[in-house]
Amino acid sequence: MNLGTLFSGPDMASILMPEWILILGITAMIIVPNLGNATFRLPIPNTSIRIPYLLGGKRFSFTGDPRLPSAIAAFTLFASFITALLSQMIDSGVGVAEACISMTGAVNECAISDNYILRVDPFSRMMEMIFTAALLIAVIANMDRLPATSHKRLQLEVQEDPVAENRRLAKLLNNRRQVDFSLLVLMVALGMSTVALSTNLFSLFVGLELASMASYVLVSFHKETKIGPEAGVKYFIVGSVAGAVGLYGISMLYIWNGDLSIYGTGGLAEKWASEGPNGMAIIGLAMMLVAFGFKVSAVPFHFAAPDAYAGASGPVAGVLSTASKAMGFVALMRVLFGVTLGDGGNEWTILIGAVAAITMTWGNIAALGSKNPKRMLAYSSIAHAGYILAGIAAIGALGPGAGSELIATAIIFHLAVLVTFKIGAFLVVSLLECEGRGHEISHFHGLARRDPMIAIPMMIFMLALAGVPPLSGFLSKLMMVSGIISSTVGDVSGATLSDAFGSLSWVFWLAILIFINSAISIFYYLRICVVMFFEETDRSPRMSRAPMIRIAIMLCTMGAVVLGFGVLADVLAIAASDAAAALFS
Amino acid sequence: MGEHSKPEWNLLVPVLAMVSFPFIRHLLGYNPIDSAFLIVAVPLAIFPVILIIGQQYKGEDWWKHQLKEGGIVALAGLAITLSLTIWLIIEFLVHHAHFGDQGAVFDWITFDNIASDNTLTESVLSFGIWVDSISLTVLFVAAFLCFLICWFAIGYMTTDPINEDRNHRFFAEFVLFSMGMFGMVLADSFLWLFIFWEIMGLCSYLLIGFYWEKPSAAAAAKKAFLTTRVGDVFLMVGLFMLYDLYHSLDFAVIFGDPTLGGTIHGEDLQWPIIMMFIGCVGKSAQFPLHVWLPDAMEGPTPVSALIHAATMVNAGLYLVARMFPIFSEASFEGALSDVAMLIAWIGGITAFMAALIAFVANDIKRVLAYSTMSQLAYIFTGLGAACWLANEGYQKYALFAFGAAMFHLFNHAMAKAMLFMSSGSVIHEMHHAHDHAHGDGDEGDHHHFDPQDMRNMGGLASKMPVTSTAMMLGSMSIIGIPLIGGFWSKEGIVGQAWNVYLKGGEMILFPAILVLATAGMTGFYMSRMWFMTFAGKPKSDVVEYVHEETQWIKTPLVTLSIVTAFSGFLLACGHFVYWLSDPASEKGSHFMTDFFKHPFEAILYELEHAFLPEDNTLKIVGWTAILLSAGLGPFIAARMHGGHLSEGERAVPLTSWLIRYSGSVGHTDVGELAEGGLATALHNRLYIDDAYEWIISKTLIPLSAISAWIDKNLVDGVIKRIECGSQWASTQIRQLTTGKASDYLLMAALGTLVVIAILWGVI
Repeated sequence: MNLGTLFSGPDMASILMPEWILILGITAMIIVPNLGNATFRLPIPNTSIRIPYLLGGKRFSFTGDPRLPSAIAAFTLFASFITALLSQMIDSGVGVAEACISMTGAVNECAISDNYILRVDPFSRMMEMIFTAALLIAVIANMDRLPATSHKRLQLEVQEDPVAENRRLAKLLNNRRQVDFSLLVLMVALGMSTVALSTNLFSLFVGLELASMASYVLVSFHKETKIGPEAGVKYFIVGSVAGAVGLYGISMLYIWNGDLSIYGTGGLAEKWASEGPNGMAIIGLAMMLVAFGFKVSAVPFHFAAPDAYAGASGPVAGVLSTASKAMGFVALMRVLFGVTLGDGGNEWTILIGAVAAITMTWGNIAALGSKNPKRMLAYSSIAHAGYILAGIAAIGALGPGAGSELIATAIIFHLAVLVTFKIGAFLVVSLLECEGRGHEISHFHGLARRDPMIAIPMMIFMLALAGVPPLSGFLSKLMMVSGIISSTVGDVSGATLSDAFGSLSWVFWLAILIFINSAISIFYYLRICVVMFFEETDRSPRMSRAPMIRIAIMLCTMGAVVLGFGVLADVLAIAASDAAAALFS
Repeated sequence: MGEHSKPEWNLLVPVLAMVSFPFIRHLLGYNPIDSAFLIVAVPLAIFPVILIIGQQYKGEDWWKHQLKEGGIVALAGLAITLSLTIWLIIEFLVHHAHFGDQGAVFDWITFDNIASDNTLTESVLSFGIWVDSISLTVLFVAAFLCFLICWFAIGYMTTDPINEDRNHRFFAEFVLFSMGMFGMVLADSFLWLFIFWEIMGLCSYLLIGFYWEKPSAAAAAKKAFLTTRVGDVFLMVGLFMLYDLYHSLDFAVIFGDPTLGGTIHGEDLQWPIIMMFIGCVGKSAQFPLHVWLPDAMEGPTPVSALIHAATMVNAGLYLVARMFPIFSEASFEGALSDVAMLIAWIGGITAFMAALIAFVANDIKRVLAYSTMSQLAYIFTGLGAACWLANEGYQKYALFAFGAAMFHLFNHAMAKAMLFMSSGSVIHEMHHAHDHAHGDGDEGDHHHFDPQDMRNMGGLASKMPVTSTAMMLGSMSIIGIPLIGGFWSKEGIVGQAWNVYLKGGEMILFPAILVLATAGMTGFYMSRMWFMTFAGKPKSDVVEYVHEETQWIKTPLVTLSIVTAFSGFLLACGHFVYWLSDPASEKGSHFMTDFFKHPFEAILYELEHAFLPEDNTLKIVGWTAILLSAGLGPFIAARMHGGHLSEGERAVPLTSWLIRYSGSVGHTDVGELAEGGLATALHNRLYIDDAYEWIISKTLIPLSAISAWIDKNLVDGVIKRIECGSQWASTQIRQLTTGKASDYLLMAALGTLVVIAILWGVI
């Protein structure tokens, strides 16, 4: 079968294939683990004809296997990822690279005047791939963080010893929760994909909240720990308030325009360009920025983030710092670039620039003193949000054009490669969590001696986060900074030095600030490396086995290396630049 | 090691099997030039194999005894490179072809150049193979000697208990070093030449410091590395200048048209060549950067043979020889003759100085080290003369001088490698004999006995027949005894140095006199070494227990003895000298045809014409040199240090005549002279090392102290202050993260207000 036919028709089934697969997975997740030999007796007197209806009863050994939900989730996410990838890889002549779905459900080739609600283009596909890849890695790793024990082994383990019994109960509990976790992960994936596709603020918000709600639960999923639920609740409170503010902002925009579509006739962008915003629109935009600012954990809406990351288990924290954050940026870029930038409206540029400057500095400085590696990573992720915000501010200052596309490419590239090394770093922490540690930097002492196969990837992740060449983190930062600088200094050649500096856009200094912050950040990234390689530890060299986490770490390592200076760096950069072009079209 | 180790020839089977490698390549349809890159690639691939497997399995029986801790692997790899090299040479001889540039084997870096007219041109730094008669000569010397020295090292290194379980490191570094030399010789651009040059520098550091736990070895390694580094910096500057002129470092570009279409004049090239020459001075241990070489004798003896005979010291010569086409470019006539004179001067001074110091050295390896410096200096003088003649337009003589210099490189490398290995054999056996005589566990006495000191030897000729014969032949080659090895090449060099004087280069007079004098001095110090070691009565009781043992050590010595004894004659008759500079020349064929018709006259003719030009003045110079080196020098040495063996000891016939000679010329006591001021100065190496140390302690050390102070107080202070400030700020900032959701909400609310205010205010 030609895979291309899967995507050939401009119809709902083919162009939304990744989302359909997710929905299919969710359905399967609800049904399959419940399949059993349940029957019901035909209500005919004096007969005992029993007709099996399968839902409930004593479950089959296959469907009752506690490892099944993770497998379903992983398979679903993988399939979704692959379909999204294939739809981009296959020649545009065969598959549908771009299509739009209007409010009434009609599927069209995209016309800019159309008033549509979902849009499939390289940008949304790229984002879907980022989301599903991050979640896939998290699901794989979580198989060891929430280990499923087969029922047979559980039955064998009955013992009188109360400690062993407690452990058995914990395993039983883990088994019970397998479906919950996997289901929530798939929900997150569906919500995020919706955000990636949305070109209508309403559907965008629905997707955002679908993903957010599920992720609040994921944060507090390890409810037997003390900090998990607390962090989840805090994250939920602040997040729901931010969400409410955002929804309020959206409603104001609706009052202003009467339509929540971003593009097309009667859309927000058209009105913004033709009439200019009034006060209500401005307040609406500001409130939406607050909601999305919370998602990307920009200062001052970031406060719950370190708590949430520290409370959540490693894989979940990894998802929060990559996929969830990328979702916030998708929303931010859709609104800012889609709605306001069309006619060079860049009222928000100064604001975003200031937030970017504060965010990156704050994140890095706070990370300097953090003793908890997960909080350190959380602050580092705040700092990375600052870098990306600086890129967005630069785009705002430059207006649409080749330079903006270059910076957008860098942003997308950065979001993509973050999936490898950021999650990877959280997974290494997670491996330490498996032995009940990982919340102190001293727990990294001597890791290189205990297990070099973990310490070396961790070093690669740290160097990639710091942006050391030739790793992928360097490439994204280089693209960002060189994009900003080349766009701002492009027209000053021939001038004297003082003229050149005088005529520089203020955005230029954001690039300089990125440099300075990178320098600061190297301190705390390298500190991890130093303690891993040069400190002694009295722990036994045996680490937890945790094969799935190790596999996930290896995947991340390969990604961090291959996307940095391997062949795939080019491929990814081209895909990101396609996506950036689609964002501005 | 057991007293009588069983023969281990069976271990050589895999090595010999490797010799079939070229045949297999040939059957697969490759020609030798396509396989040339394997000469570099095979050792490069073997290096990590030995290192990793050795680290993993050291101490295991199969690794230790079957593979000799990696030695067999290294030897097999070097067998491949040697057979490939010979294949290449056969092909070269058959086709009489100038292979030249063979195109890139792989592209390394591609980048854009911005030209002055703001256009982009693409440049590629690629690695390619360049084969001509010069590179083939040096390549053969390196490959052949690396192979034999590796063979020798298996016997030398693996039987010494100090080296237990770390020989894999030695062999791995050995192979990497060989790779560096092969790569440098085959590289087709100065860039890759430089890269391999530096690989050799690194390996020489590692190998000289192989006994890193000995402070003197560690210091020697550091000294060698830093001293050559001084030269390398200049070399790099020279390469930059060259690149600036040609916009390329490829041989094809530079030697294809040294004028670059008439845009480059000879004067432009003076400084680049001088800079590069300083690099060669460092690498080949010439004055004033020679100080590292004697100290480098701290390394194991195979390393001395490898670095100071076969490979690294030849690298500098090779680079100078590479630049010969620039000197012979017609349009540069006269512009570069000063540079050539500089080369000759450095050569002359070093030759004389090193020979002088060698007079008083008592350490057998140090004598050889100084002799190496001196002989390399000969070659530099020859190259300088060749460059001068070429630059002044005397192409015929220039080619002869150039050929003589390269010929001397060949002869010297062969002889000196053998001498080093022989000295290694002596040291090895002295060491074992000492252990045997005084008991293995006698650690306290161990330190007082120096197995390298010739004052402990004497009368070894009967104990070590193979070694003494080898050393005799090697010394004769170095001295330049007629018909043996270095005779032809040395006479050629001396003759051509004087020829420069006759052709109007008055400046050469000083180095020319020096090399002439050195010829006689060489005769003295080499004979002195031999007589002190092998002739006379034993000077210590250890000598009683000396005997030659393992075939690993003997075989290379025998091989090289034969090569040294006959190759000089054969190659000289085969007009090697002319072939080198002009491979297409047909002169080589005369001898063979004449030889069959009237052999005696043919040999006589060749003897006369192989090394001497048809000029009476030069003939006088040549005969003077012969007389000095073959007659006077050895005679004095024999009087001072020679003597009959002890009663009942009998040397083999090959060496016994020399013993008899030395015993019959009488004896002169030189005790007084050895106490004199000159001798003290020579023992202290003419105070050059001390002068360097004084200069460094007066200039560099205070400067670095100041820098250290600035770094510690100013730079670190600022950094520390920044760090403290950041940590403080970090603490303050993180206090805002209170952990209370209400506080977070308050912050978010404030933030919202600020966001609205900013957006509102901007509009």
